[in-house]
Amino acid sequence: MNEFSRALQVSSSAMHAQATRLRHVSENISNADTPGFRRKSVSFEAEVDPVSNLTLLRVGDVRQDQSDLTTVFDPQHPLADDNGQYKGSNVSLLVEIVDAREARRSYEANLKMFDQVRQMSSSLMSLLRK
Amino acid sequence: MLKDLTIFQLAGNAATHAGRRQALLTQNVANADTPGYRALDLPDFAEAVSLETRGAAMQATRPTHLQGTSSQINRIEPFERPGEADPNGNTVALDRELMFAVDAKRTHDRSLAVYRSALDILRTAIRVR
Repeated sequence: MNEFSRALQVSSSAMHAQATRLRHVSENISNADTPGFRRKSVSFEAEVDPVSNLTLLRVGDVRQDQSDLTTVFDPQHPLADDNGQYKGSNVSLLVEIVDAREARRSYEANLKMFDQVRQMSSSLMSLLRK
Repeated sequence: MLKDLTIFQLAGNAATHAGRRQALLTQNVANADTPGYRALDLPDFAEAVSLETRGAAMQATRPTHLQGTSSQINRIEPFERPGEADPNGNTVALDRELMFAVDAKRTHDRSLAVYRSALDILRTAIRVR
């Protein structure tokens, strides 16, 4: 396997990982108002593939954020306790938006590298033409 | 056969070197968010050539004469690029990686252009009219 196809493989593993991260971010955002929802976060690990000896990006375990849930005062809510309060989610929209922005930037950087490697390999192939 | 002509060998090795460098930079970008990852890089081609020919250089009437390079040049091990680490121990800076990647692409294009032009000269030489 030549360097270019190795590079394409590494890039695509990273794009997959960033897409997974973005999916978890959108899960968090869509559940920002769900009572008792805990924010999920993914971890990234550099993994050396034993067959090809490539350093691929792998998505590690998905973890739940164990910080305190927010308390919402709403006596009309079906889940409200005696004090008129219920536990909301611990999702902070600001954090999620920043995380999504970072995932998008990393995804774009990977896409750019993917495209560039593809261009380099096609210009190599065009040597054979004529 | 083409490898006997040093210009092809040199251009080919330079292109391979640029390809290897591009692959490493791609790996860096892929791991830009991985905690503890250290950015890798290869020395410049010119530096790699001087590392390789040091001591074992052939005699030449002029130092600028092409002497070719062996394929050993593309076995040079990557080194960890020094740099400021993020709080999570990662030393990848995306902007720098993209800049180096553009550099690698330009080097690759240039080597291929040299190769192609040498190929054209060969074609012209063997063309039967």
